[in-house]
Amino acid sequence: MKRIEVRLNLEVVAPLLDAIKEVSDVLQGKLAAPLDIGEVDVDMREFWRDELIGSQNGDIAKLLALFNKEFFSNGVIAFDAENAEPVVRACSAVRLRLREENLKSVTDEDLETGKVEIDQLAEPMKKFFMCYLFLASIQELIIQHLDTLGEEE
Amino acid sequence: MATNPHTSPVAHPETELELHGLWRVVVLNDPVNLMSYVVVVFRKVFGFDEETARKHMMEVHEQGRSVVWTGLREKAEAYTFTLHQWHLTAVIEPDEAGHR
Repeated sequence: MKRIEVRLNLEVVAPLLDAIKEVSDVLQGKLAAPLDIGEVDVDMREFWRDELIGSQNGDIAKLLALFNKEFFSNGVIAFDAENAEPVVRACSAVRLRLREENLKSVTDEDLETGKVEIDQLAEPMKKFFMCYLFLASIQELIIQHLDTLGEEE
Repeated sequence: MATNPHTSPVAHPETELELHGLWRVVVLNDPVNLMSYVVVVFRKVFGFDEETARKHMMEVHEQGRSVVWTGLREKAEAYTFTLHQWHLTAVIEPDEAGHR
């Protein structure tokens, strides 16, 4: 199975992990995006929600597992066919939550166009926004290699 | 009246459509998910080629929504659930042309 290793700058990334962990903890029992499934019965709605939360929790566990001993010793994280899709979904979940809770004062337009002056943001919003950008970079990296990750080495 | 033991009901897809109508899976825009991510999701969930996935993604981005699939309700719900697993905002709605 192909494996892609990425060396990250520990000094830059390590402080963002607290933010990722904080948001991940909140998402344990809460969906990243509001659930709108129209008119369905209560049992169906509850089943739908519970299944989504279970799936979300599994994906977030894969994201957090990236930052293991290897990462803290040499800054390396690794993707393969097993974790790539769960991690890319988890990044979406955490980014949605960051936007909803921690980056409320940033407009949709500024977020979509990237027109945010990071230096003008106050802490802790600066850290949350850096986290938001970092997770987007992880997603872009995985997406570039998704087609090849399933290939045998 | 006695029933014939050698026959059994036959499913007629056109009857199902008449009874239940068509439903659309609609993806709505959000300011968070990357365009490249949305393309990947469309390709994975619906099997679209790159061009078709990109076309639907641009519709979502520019028009706020895109109808990505139309068919029976049960299947529409299954697709919508999968899109929710990928954290896209998706809803199902009746297809006006397919509802009588």
